[in-house]
Amino acid sequence: MVGGIGFVAALILGISAVTFAVEMDPREKAVLDQLPGANCGACGFAGCAAFAHEITENVEAEMACPAVNENALKAMSEILGRDLGGGAAFIAFVGCKGTPDQTITRYNYVGPRDCRAAQIIAGGSKACAYGCLGLGSCVDVCPFGAIHMGEDGLPHVVEAKCTGCAKCVDACPRQIIRLIPKSGNYGVGCISKDLSKDMKQYCKVGCIKCGLCENICPFDAITVSKDSSAVIDQSKCRSCGLCVSVCPTSVISFLHTPLKARVIVEKCKGCGICDQVCPVEAITGKPKEPYLVNESKCIGCGLCIDKCPADAIERIVS
Amino acid sequence: MKTFKGGIHPPEEKELVKDNPIADFPLSSTFYVLVQQHLGAPAKPIVKAGDEVKKGQVITEPLGFVSAPVHAPTSGTVKEISKMVHPVTGLLAPCIVIDADGKDQWADGLPLERDPSVMTTEELMGAIKAAGIVGMGGATFPTHVKLSPPKEKTIDTFIVNGAECEPYLSSDYRLMLEQPERVLGGTLIAMRILGLDKAILAIESNKPDAIKLMESKAPPQIQVETLKVKYPQGAEKQLINALTGREVPSGGLPMDVGAVVQNAGTCAAIYDACAHGIPLIERITSVTGRGIKHPKNIKVRIGTPIKDVIDFCGGLNDAAKIIFGGPMMGIAQFSDDISIMKGTSGVLVLTEKDTNISHYSACISCGRCVEACPMCLIPSTLSKAGEKSMWQMALDNNLLDCVECGSCTFVCPANRPIVHFVKYLKALQRAANAKSKGA
Repeated sequence: MVGGIGFVAALILGISAVTFAVEMDPREKAVLDQLPGANCGACGFAGCAAFAHEITENVEAEMACPAVNENALKAMSEILGRDLGGGAAFIAFVGCKGTPDQTITRYNYVGPRDCRAAQIIAGGSKACAYGCLGLGSCVDVCPFGAIHMGEDGLPHVVEAKCTGCAKCVDACPRQIIRLIPKSGNYGVGCISKDLSKDMKQYCKVGCIKCGLCENICPFDAITVSKDSSAVIDQSKCRSCGLCVSVCPTSVISFLHTPLKARVIVEKCKGCGICDQVCPVEAITGKPKEPYLVNESKCIGCGLCIDKCPADAIERIVS
Repeated sequence: MKTFKGGIHPPEEKELVKDNPIADFPLSSTFYVLVQQHLGAPAKPIVKAGDEVKKGQVITEPLGFVSAPVHAPTSGTVKEISKMVHPVTGLLAPCIVIDADGKDQWADGLPLERDPSVMTTEELMGAIKAAGIVGMGGATFPTHVKLSPPKEKTIDTFIVNGAECEPYLSSDYRLMLEQPERVLGGTLIAMRILGLDKAILAIESNKPDAIKLMESKAPPQIQVETLKVKYPQGAEKQLINALTGREVPSGGLPMDVGAVVQNAGTCAAIYDACAHGIPLIERITSVTGRGIKHPKNIKVRIGTPIKDVIDFCGGLNDAAKIIFGGPMMGIAQFSDDISIMKGTSGVLVLTEKDTNISHYSACISCGRCVEACPMCLIPSTLSKAGEKSMWQMALDNNLLDCVECGSCTFVCPANRPIVHFVKYLKALQRAANAKSKGA
């Protein structure tokens, strides 16, 4: 009896699945396969499927998904037969290095383990109004599992997983997390707007606004003022890392491995332009002979590569 | 005995301080007068560093109707306009620092002795507004606003709140016991302003001597009512419900059911302002709790640093937590660099034994909070919504009707910080509202 009912029901379902099947644009399915599938909603649609439908049906629709990577973008452009642009290659960066042992807390916080809830109690327990509260609201909202709470009590972004969807940026009540270009190489781990003398009272690792990085930067990419921590203009930054080497509180950090220049001896014509443009005098040699890069001095800024008329300099991982 | 539905019975702990007569607090050498001492539109300082001020002189200008001025608590020199921690918000707020000269001289024309019974209601209202009186139970809503309901609302009930349902606190009790004529005088003035010929003075039954004294002193138009001891009996909406059986509608105000409620301390301040022309520059505060060596009821000037108050009461004793107000709705402080405000009904110092700072666990759906909620809400649902930051779901569960009395948190066996969740959800809702308005 039960088997009979089951068979009849299966038959009805089977027939209706064929008769009433909704035809789906095969391109839509292909696009959906390329989307991250986290249904985070950052695009403004009710999930990845809704957005895939929109971008397939509407030829005017732009790429609204901030989490999509370059390969997927290329694949989708091919599927849809139109250029979807270069995509937004951003990653989240945590602008605070104040671990609990380096900073002062004003009171013992007992309550919901959520930074936004902690923030409403006298503006948060950390004495620094710009410091990470360390309760992990950013970790909770990340749809890609790209942020984890480190043993140092601060969130850490896993670069390979982060898609730049900005969910964490919205969740942080103190606006500590920012998006920076994936190609960017340095981040400033402090957003404090407090005067240096105030900040020193409650944090040992913040930006003290000394301006050393601004002065040493050969490309004018860094600005610091007495009421603003160092800000790096990533479009000007050439990843030389001089700022990292001079920062007294090590608040500026590397995001990628620094690179070095190397002269390809066979191509070098010995014109000496590289020697002239090098800001740190790392290139030496005699005219008409191959020049040589002193790796210990080279900061990997790449100025020589841009200027070399013979394409004889390449970037290598040191 | 009259009461409301729900509520809790926390340990009263009033015996620590209730039998100590009001002590005059000696003048401090420096006063830190916060500019924002009320709920509503901000005020701005009208004095600058170096200015000489006299006791009772206006030092801030209210910006807007729902606002109140602040007066100099004593004579002296303005040292600076600096910033200090605001005891309610916990954030830095502008504050006028006054170095006292020790002479304690009144400003010109103060005090002004007059007979309130011959003054017109406009004059009375003007006196209250100029005196900067705010609700002294702790909410600090400007009193002149509460006493001027819009014309379309008919007011037929005036209630003087002497319930003092917060555990530990005894400032209103001492006031009623020692200075009943101030409370009754202020009540009569407020009745005239509202155009009523009767008022109810409500006192919880744990203050029998205050009830007896008030019954003997009160004129026939003021009826003294005894209330059951229960928290939050002194909450405005619960008080109205207990005395009149009326229920303030969701999202409404007491005036929607024809009632106006004033705290006993506020009535005393109204009397001072109208009969003597004295602005609100001092109040009665209970300094109590087991963390303080000699609990006292003190008459203290607004702006007195809390460190002086603690020293006056013998210093701290195993203190773990300082709270402005009572243990249920008061606000815990993280610093002792704060000063007495108009709304500081108590300074409570708890020892570690009296505090509960353990972590919370998951809701076990026992329903005790539902039983305790005096607003007939479902606090467990609100707390679960809070855990997930789902303010819209909380809004559907009448989030905005929560009065944050803390009864649910008190009874919760899982130690859940339900009021904190509610405050958080309200903050999320406000932020979302602001965002949608801005967009």
